[in-house]
Amino acid sequence: MLIVRDSQRRDLQAANDADIAMIADGYRDKGVREAVEVVRQRLAAPPIEVAGVRAPSSYLLIQGSGGERLAGNLGPIPVRTGVFDVRVATGGDRAHTVDVRGRGVLLGPGVYVFAGRDWRVIAETRSRILYAFAWVAAGAAVIAALAGWFLGSRFMQRVDTISRTCEGIIAGRLSERIALRGRGDEWDRLAGVINEMLNRIATLMENLRQVSSDVAHDLRSPLTRLRNRLEVARSESTTAAEYAAAVARALEDTDQLLAMFSALLRISQIESGTRARAFSTVSLTELAQRLFEMYRPVAEDHRQELRGDIRPDVSIRGDPELLMQMASNLVENAIRHTPSGSVIRLCVGTEAGAAIVTVSDNGGGIPSEERGKVTRRFYRASTSRSAAGHGLGLALVSAICDLHHAVLELADAAPGLIVNVRFAREQRG
Amino acid sequence: MKVLLLEDDQELATSLIGRFGDIGYGVDHFSDGCEALAAALQRDYGALVIDRMVPGLDGLSLMKELRRQARTTPAIYLTTMAGIDDRVEGLEAGGDDYLVKPFEFVELLARVRAITRRSEEAATRLVAGTLEMDLVQRTVRREGQPIELVPQEFRLLEYLMRNANRTVTRKMLLENVWGIHFDPHTNVVESHVSRLRAHLNEDFAADPIQTVRGVGYRLLVAS
Repeated sequence: MLIVRDSQRRDLQAANDADIAMIADGYRDKGVREAVEVVRQRLAAPPIEVAGVRAPSSYLLIQGSGGERLAGNLGPIPVRTGVFDVRVATGGDRAHTVDVRGRGVLLGPGVYVFAGRDWRVIAETRSRILYAFAWVAAGAAVIAALAGWFLGSRFMQRVDTISRTCEGIIAGRLSERIALRGRGDEWDRLAGVINEMLNRIATLMENLRQVSSDVAHDLRSPLTRLRNRLEVARSESTTAAEYAAAVARALEDTDQLLAMFSALLRISQIESGTRARAFSTVSLTELAQRLFEMYRPVAEDHRQELRGDIRPDVSIRGDPELLMQMASNLVENAIRHTPSGSVIRLCVGTEAGAAIVTVSDNGGGIPSEERGKVTRRFYRASTSRSAAGHGLGLALVSAICDLHHAVLELADAAPGLIVNVRFAREQRG
Repeated sequence: MKVLLLEDDQELATSLIGRFGDIGYGVDHFSDGCEALAAALQRDYGALVIDRMVPGLDGLSLMKELRRQARTTPAIYLTTMAGIDDRVEGLEAGGDDYLVKPFEFVELLARVRAITRRSEEAATRLVAGTLEMDLVQRTVRREGQPIELVPQEFRLLEYLMRNANRTVTRKMLLENVWGIHFDPHTNVVESHVSRLRAHLNEDFAADPIQTVRGVGYRLLVAS
């Protein structure tokens, strides 16, 4: 608004100066009479509207040397040159005055001219601009509201679709998914991501349900066994030694149950994936050497032979403690489930740039139809039921492999079992 | 020795106070973390046995506060929080050992005894009875006679010598000698101890390594 006002002020002043120039031209050419004529002509111009009333477009005055008015639409004023304000009464009423700003000039000896304009014009223009702005803004608001309502209703439709699906899921209809419109727009992308999330949750839920029913089922038998033993001890033991033996057995059973629980807990911790944050560079070479030194005497005590084929400088990103447990479980499985005289191999190497850990034996192996099931919780292959264990070892291995994005393969070593853990190729740099 | 016990399970606390009492350890028992912290700052305890989840102030914050105030009293956590991260967190907060519930009292006792004698670890040479170990040259002598050991046997003997005449559990050996924090299903410890024995006793009649049935081992030396 300031800019508008400034430029208007300049315009008004320029108009005043133009009036004065015309009058001065007339005076210079033909004297006072002509100058008076020019003033009269200028004042014949149609009036303009200012603040709701008709008013002259300009205020002019030409005075003679006696200070008398020769022509003009305002009374005689004291001779003063330069730009100044003159208060002019309108309609002969003192109460109605306007401030006229203009310039006073002496044309010749005693001939004085003043040309001015009503400053309220500026305020007038300003309010007109504001008025126009208000209209434009109101129009824009109406258009925006209409467009918003239109877009919003489409938006709400999509949101409704998603929230209906979510409400269905909250109500227990877990298989519900958000229908895609097939347009490939951002809504479809969002719906796709939400559906994927729901699938993942469903898998986890199914997993959880499976685990709880496994736990309920598989903990029954050791608990029943424990209960039986205690019952027998109560009814049949008579001496302190017999009681002590019964208590010792009961403790063993309890320990096995506790081991089972901690293994389950560990699996679920690993599956939750939070350990992935603690990954560091792990030398599989060093880890396997440690493991080899650790289990060679154990295998010897079982009259088995542990051989190592460990290549240098094989390393991956991972969790050292979990990787140790994984490899240790595989070696222990081989030691526990093969007869004496067996040869067990622990190999670490690379295949096409990807690290691979292999534990193989020449023992009884696992029948092909059971190989897919041994990584399940509590599953115990028919060939290994007699051996001690809780059926969670390979489930743990499998969970650790998943965490490291490694593939666990069980195959026939003819004779024996070969277990490969294939890690993903390391992305360097 | 005076032990501070922070444990909000009253039954377990009563049992522990009794067991510690049997072997002559006095126990100050607290079930509130804030009270335990105040006591630990005021009195000079031989060891702190700290449950992690207790009312008032949790065990982890208590440890941090104690260590911040430069109290080096040996401390062991006793907790149901069995995750790997939990253990690391506990040790980083300033605890010396971490024992997961349920546990056997002998295990706790062995660990309390082990952490209360940690201070002499800077030595380059260990002596236990007639056994001498040079930690720099990695050599072992029994009655002056050199004994050849593979690295794992060396580490096993080193741990036994550092805890001479004290029972060390299988779990402690697995954690401190092999660095594994899970239960192996095979006789790893037994296999290695039997090889260590074979090397140590080749030319000697007496076996300094005593088996503590159902618990672990003890290196017996004349003091």
